[in-house]
Amino acid sequence: MSEPALLFENVGYAYEETPREAVSDINIRIEAGEWVGVTGPTNAGKSTLCLLAMGLAPHFFGGRLRGNVTVLGTESRGIKVIERSTDVGLLFQNPFTQISGARERVDEEVAFGPECHGVPQAEIEQRVEEAMRVVGISALAKRHPLDLSGGQLQRLALAGLLAMRPKVLLLDEPTSQLDPAGTAAIFEVLSGLHESGVTIVMVEHRLETLCELCPRVVAMVTGRILADGTPQDVFNSEVVQERVGMPVYTRLARSVGLPAPWPVRLSESAKAFGTPIA
Amino acid sequence: MAGGLSLYQEGASLLHRAHPLTKGVLTLSALALAFIAPSLYWILGIALMLLILVIVAGVLRRLIAVALALLLPITVLLLAVQGFANPANHTVLFAIGPIVYYTEGLSIAAIAALRITCLVVATFLFSFTTRPADITEALMQRGLSPNMGYVLQSALQIIPQTLDMAGRIQDAQRSRGLETEGSLPKRARAYLPLMLPLVLSSLVATQERAMALEVRGFGLPVKRLNRYEFTDTAVQRVTRWALALAVPAAIVARLLGWR
Repeated sequence: MSEPALLFENVGYAYEETPREAVSDINIRIEAGEWVGVTGPTNAGKSTLCLLAMGLAPHFFGGRLRGNVTVLGTESRGIKVIERSTDVGLLFQNPFTQISGARERVDEEVAFGPECHGVPQAEIEQRVEEAMRVVGISALAKRHPLDLSGGQLQRLALAGLLAMRPKVLLLDEPTSQLDPAGTAAIFEVLSGLHESGVTIVMVEHRLETLCELCPRVVAMVTGRILADGTPQDVFNSEVVQERVGMPVYTRLARSVGLPAPWPVRLSESAKAFGTPIA
Repeated sequence: MAGGLSLYQEGASLLHRAHPLTKGVLTLSALALAFIAPSLYWILGIALMLLILVIVAGVLRRLIAVALALLLPITVLLLAVQGFANPANHTVLFAIGPIVYYTEGLSIAAIAALRITCLVVATFLFSFTTRPADITEALMQRGLSPNMGYVLQSALQIIPQTLDMAGRIQDAQRSRGLETEGSLPKRARAYLPLMLPLVLSSLVATQERAMALEVRGFGLPVKRLNRYEFTDTAVQRVTRWALALAVPAAIVARLLGWR
């Protein structure tokens, strides 16, 4: 079996000065090139999972870590966050957090990460141009990052991450501040990255989106994994439906009394209701 | 949201294209020489040279706006105070009834006003033609550590960021019914509910920024590559040295009796 991109083995983690663990008994193996969606209610431990994979927990936040978090073959305790940043990228929930705070223009902000990694100037320029183009902010290149709207800032944060060319992308609600068109555009970018072999772990609340995009879904509740599998398996579980929720198609099918397995995607829903989609 | 503190104006003039260090040395030397020079004519000469550079840089209109707002009130005040009330005054220039204006005061006020003019013009000329990021980059290329470079760059951004945050907190507190305007006691009462969240938010923002820098690889032990290659010609290097040496030369000349 090849080396997994991410491997959590019996992981438990408690933030400093908190007695209760934010995540407990986490066991996940994510293969290289997988696109895994993580969902769950507030305080489920989704963001902590990303922080652990990046190494910010415990390196930055302190606290107590049990078990092993191995990313691309290196155990978390043995590598600094800045060293991990060469292969792993984390997109924060709040895009303002991602900004370096030292650059006066959007294109310079996107270049910050590659510069820190010592990428040659000609390649930086090419990466910056490409990253801005794919997230749709080329027209904002000369603007000041602080003059951008929340949605534009979120695109900038993603562009900054893409320019670093990570092998593993950890995305904590990557489209929370975007409009539907912007969201669709970003997911198209992510689909392209997934096809090119990038491993993606994406925290997302919109269950319909999650089911459409991610071949594998992890549902979390109060710091523990409740279900891990295909969207169909996860959202057909009554426990998940009760504690995490379900896509609107599943809810609709259940409410009209259709028998299980219930649909989780639009295409399956149309089939279940006997209505073909053009 | 607020942008940065930069006053930079896009352009392609000789000054815009000059090496940031050349412009920095020019600014500092012009300031120093304006205050070292002993007579009105020397200072006037420096001011005229700066004015020519302002015209070359194409920022005259913008500078006039600044000059009117900053220099006009200062100059008027200096002329009035020195001309009427300087203790060295004894040669009457003109008199209107009991009000007497003196030549010595006028001369002292003119020198002071011209020195302040040089200071303002040189500073704004530099700010209008040089991006703050370029100054830091140029200094880093001359050996300033990337950590110190980051501190300098982020220091220029932190004021607008904090002002922006303060504005949002003020709006949020107003929407909850806090009165932030009116009499002094009312404003004083509003101070704590505004300052406390601002301080706490700033602390959180600092932590988040530190996290962002780690995630983006800031501090990786890699060889730092230059972001830009600034044009630096032999003429610029000679000009920098000449300007830098002119300052100690002027000080020595003053000590030897330059009047």
